[in-house]
Amino acid sequence: MSFITDHILSWVTFLPLAGSLLLWTVVRREGPARLLALGVALADFVLSLHLWFHFDPKTGVDQFVERVAWLADGRISYNLGMDGISLMLVMLTTLLGPIVILSTWRAVTERVPEFMGFLLLLQAAMLGTFFARDMLLFYVFWEAMLIPMYFIIGVWGGQRRLYAAVKFFIFTMVGSVFMLIGIIYMYYHAGSMDLRAFLALDLPRQAQLWLFGAFFLAFAIKVPLFPLHTWLPDAHVEAPTAGSVILAGVLLKMGTYGMLRFAMPLFPQGVATFAPLISTLAVIGIIYGALVALVQPDVKKLVAYSSVSHLGFAVLGLFSLTKLGVAGSLYQMLAHGLSTGALFLLVGVIYERRHTREISEFGGLAHGMPRYATIFLITTLASMGLPGMAGFVAEFMILFGTFGSTTLAHGRLLTVLASTGVVLGAIYMLWMYQRVFLGRRDNPRNEGLADLSGRELVVLLPLVVLMFWLGVRPGVVLDRVEASIDRVLAPLAIEGAAPAGLGAALTTPVLELPEGQGRFVFGNPEMR
Amino acid sequence: MIRDLVFVLLALLTVVPAFWVVFSRNIVHAGFALLFTLVGVAGFYGFLGADFLAVTQLMVYVGGVLVLVLFTVMMTHVPAVGRRRHGLDRLVPPAVFAAAVFGVLYKVITVVKWNVGEASTSPTTAEIGTQLMTNYVFPFEYVSIVLLAAMVGAAILIRERSHAGSDDAIAEEKQEARP
Amino acid sequence: MELLHVKIPSWGDLQWWLPEAVLCCTFLLALLGDMLARGRRPVVAFAISVAGLLAAGALAIADTHAVAPAGGRAIMGDLMVVDGMAIFFRLLFVFGGLATVLFAWTSEEIMGHRRENKGEFFALTVLMTVAMMVMAEARNVLMLYLAMEGVGLTSYVMAGYMRTSLRSTEASLKYVIFGAVSSAIMLYGLSLLYGMTGSLQFSGIRAVLLGGGAEPFGILVAVVLILAGMSYKIAAVPFHFWCPDVYEGAPTPVAALFSVGPKAAGFALMIRFFYTTFAVGTNAAASNSLIQVINWPLLVSVISAVTMTFGNLVALRQTNVKRMLAYSSIAHVGYLLMGFVLLSEMGLAAILFYLLVYTLMNLGAFFFVVAVNNHLKSEQLEDYKGLGYRMPWAGVMMVVFLGSLTGVPPFAGFVGKLYLFTAVMDRQWFWLVIIAGLNSVISLYYYFRVARVMWLVRPDEGHDSPLRLSWLQYTVLACLAVPTLVLGLYFGAFKDLADAGIRTMAGG
Repeated sequence: MSFITDHILSWVTFLPLAGSLLLWTVVRREGPARLLALGVALADFVLSLHLWFHFDPKTGVDQFVERVAWLADGRISYNLGMDGISLMLVMLTTLLGPIVILSTWRAVTERVPEFMGFLLLLQAAMLGTFFARDMLLFYVFWEAMLIPMYFIIGVWGGQRRLYAAVKFFIFTMVGSVFMLIGIIYMYYHAGSMDLRAFLALDLPRQAQLWLFGAFFLAFAIKVPLFPLHTWLPDAHVEAPTAGSVILAGVLLKMGTYGMLRFAMPLFPQGVATFAPLISTLAVIGIIYGALVALVQPDVKKLVAYSSVSHLGFAVLGLFSLTKLGVAGSLYQMLAHGLSTGALFLLVGVIYERRHTREISEFGGLAHGMPRYATIFLITTLASMGLPGMAGFVAEFMILFGTFGSTTLAHGRLLTVLASTGVVLGAIYMLWMYQRVFLGRRDNPRNEGLADLSGRELVVLLPLVVLMFWLGVRPGVVLDRVEASIDRVLAPLAIEGAAPAGLGAALTTPVLELPEGQGRFVFGNPEMR
Repeated sequence: MIRDLVFVLLALLTVVPAFWVVFSRNIVHAGFALLFTLVGVAGFYGFLGADFLAVTQLMVYVGGVLVLVLFTVMMTHVPAVGRRRHGLDRLVPPAVFAAAVFGVLYKVITVVKWNVGEASTSPTTAEIGTQLMTNYVFPFEYVSIVLLAAMVGAAILIRERSHAGSDDAIAEEKQEARP
Repeated sequence: MELLHVKIPSWGDLQWWLPEAVLCCTFLLALLGDMLARGRRPVVAFAISVAGLLAAGALAIADTHAVAPAGGRAIMGDLMVVDGMAIFFRLLFVFGGLATVLFAWTSEEIMGHRRENKGEFFALTVLMTVAMMVMAEARNVLMLYLAMEGVGLTSYVMAGYMRTSLRSTEASLKYVIFGAVSSAIMLYGLSLLYGMTGSLQFSGIRAVLLGGGAEPFGILVAVVLILAGMSYKIAAVPFHFWCPDVYEGAPTPVAALFSVGPKAAGFALMIRFFYTTFAVGTNAAASNSLIQVINWPLLVSVISAVTMTFGNLVALRQTNVKRMLAYSSIAHVGYLLMGFVLLSEMGLAAILFYLLVYTLMNLGAFFFVVAVNNHLKSEQLEDYKGLGYRMPWAGVMMVVFLGSLTGVPPFAGFVGKLYLFTAVMDRQWFWLVIIAGLNSVISLYYYFRVARVMWLVRPDEGHDSPLRLSWLQYTVLACLAVPTLVLGLYFGAFKDLADAGIRTMAGG
């Protein structure tokens, strides 16, 4: 097994790629194609479990490092590594992989091998993006995500799929090009594409501002941050269910991940200058997304706009520039990946049965589909951030972090405003739930709909379990990421920036949550 | 003194008909005017001691190219050019451009310290022949191959014209030409 | 005659010029063979051409190791030089020529007509290959001009090769007239330069310039005139206007060759001429050349920016795929010129590498158009509907070419652009990189519009029968697509070749 464990990151990354190549060339029949895709995705998940169990949480340095000179006398290298932050997002990706594939069992009937191939290719690219520690390698993976997504939306999407696919592609490409220019500029000065060389670079303030802008634009479009979000609803609504799940579950996190991994540590001056502006935009996004979600007549669009709102929280947490906020932001990425991924799956389930997503078409679904209604309710609550669920921990940490932020002059105001987003979130989610599931079943077409099948339960239950688990045992995640966050944020020197009271709270090993929802451990290795 | 006189005469012979070429409405007249210009240029070559070039100029341009042009013009029916408008808007931009080019070239010619060799007084033809067969034998051979390609091309283009009339090509062509 | 620095050539020089010599013989043999077959069996000329090109390619590869010490080997009395750069372009041109010959054989446009004398087409392609090689080898003004005329004459003929088409004839005529004008302009510049320096050798010109024995204003005018002539050859704005018409009018395989061959040869010529004559030093800092009167970097960067922007913006509006590719090739010239801004080794090597990549991907895209045209008799984008489902393998390869032309990783075009961008990554020329980046996004739109029509739109009812390509077409397309993909991930060896080409370029 050592030939696998020695290069475990490469195996995890390229196993799905191998699967997709098989699907495009050899396995051309529907049934075997589905099984093969599922098998590959499961195998990938099993491989990634090795990462989970062999990960050393005490250190923030990259682990399982693979480094081979690639080009230009090793100035560009094939350089993979993984710290706690990457670990969490990788686990989310490999977990969603088989779930997504299983969810398309009935939904996709056209060109199945190609579809599965694109899903696996996308997964390989996403994993590579999380592992890459060489900027060129990172950029290659980053861009490689575009093409499979373009085809997933464009070929298997809804009515306006062409428009949505092109819009998605163009938006992301605009951002990427500026980031590429930034990368090349830094390569020119650092003489190496290694991330460490980039970090070691001491750039003048002016350059940092521009470069931060270039990198941040690429990530902000991906997140998407408030004024740049317009591609997201189109992409989500037109994408097939599987595409939406991947998009919401992982792809959007690329933006926040990129900010955390690259934009923030590389350009501290840029962060210091732009943090007030960005956090304001994030709060605008939180409220705007929630308000727009409130009036959506289409369930899927509602979920899409709720993503804008939720990821606003993630960005706010990052740019609160407190350790608590950043950790909360990472937590939000996971929580949002689980709950929104599940929501899109659930929307897909009802769409398969009714071929519509209009809220007004539904009503009283809870009568005929009890299991569906129950799981939908749990997911709705998780998405709202009900205490005891993953989303609560995340939003709590983010708000707390922002409130105590000293670098943000208007941190308290932002916290108050962002809190209204939580309230609005509860309103639009519950209102939607009420209109869809409660009340009388007026529409005869809603009669006799089949409840969740066994396969659909298998798809959804892991997510539901995790929503609870992460809600009550945040330490599982936080212990593993703390050292990594410290390390990544070291260039920002934010530790000293924390106010005395909160600083003490942060260093206190055990923090009692007010609601008594279990203890959330921060920095105590014994409590794992 | 006599050299200056010869130069001025040759210059007039070259430039005045050139204006005629440009401004004449009658294409045959223009062709004949070009004859004088080309002869004038040949005169310059001779005047500068480039005897071989002068003769070549006469043989190739005056004897060959120009006669061909005149034949073509006279044998094919050139449609009478409709009275084109020669308003100021048509004349001024080219005139300004020409004046600018003239200015630049004039400045170049006067400002630059030219690398002038001794004008040879002996006939150059033998020397050129020797050079072509020794030092410059490679370009010489290369040109011959390129000219062969040009001949092949000419053959292709001409042959196709004659064939084109015989099959459906013309109809096809008309179809294409129609908007 | 001492001034001309020419030494009497010896027969021994031919051993360094074997690939070209073989191709010259191939040209003659192909013509002869075609004549003997009375023009009825084009396969004779085709076979001879393919064999000749293969032999020349093998010889060129063998030469890669045998090449002379740094500075290359001067041949034919120092009129030409065989150095790393010459060898790089040799391989490139032989490859391009071979691919064109093979694909033209399958093209209905060239082979489909009931007409005799198709064989000459292959012979002419071979000769054009030789002429392009000479362009990359010339180090003497006389040779430079002859080489350019050689490429010019053969291309005029090939552009007008389709007898029946008005478009083709018009294209040829336009090409001839504009070509004549531009070469006259360039000749004027060259003769000014000769008049000022008294030398035809690049090195001789350089020596005089270094000695400060030339009037700056005169040099300025000469350089601008020469640059204008060469810009015509590579179709840079504002000397691009012939390009779309000629590409559209010429048979598509010919347009494919035009879009890569003469352009690459033009760049080779520009690199050798301007670099060995005018550049001082080798690093970016010393790029301010002997032409102090000109702000060379500014001049070239403005041409570059305008060219790429113009090409892309006009390509955006095209509905004919071939015409779209023609305009996009103008845009690529703009990208290539970026490497020329600083006259640095890094930039020139980037040009070489991009030319290699560009040859692969652009030939591929054009050849796909040829294959489609064979079946559909159309180059209109609307007829490409659902084409991906009718010819899946070729369709996938077309996506590879389009992705690479856009410059998306992991395709080779991305790497090419990466190097070009790096080459001008100087604070002063930052704006150029940004413009180039934005241009990539524009190009994304129209390239992927083709991919979109091919794959995301279903074919119309009744027009969804599968289309078959011959094995030869698949082979050639694969030979272009696979490297386009591989070079995007592993380009070390080829980049080294390009670097070596520039580093061992014979100095002035």
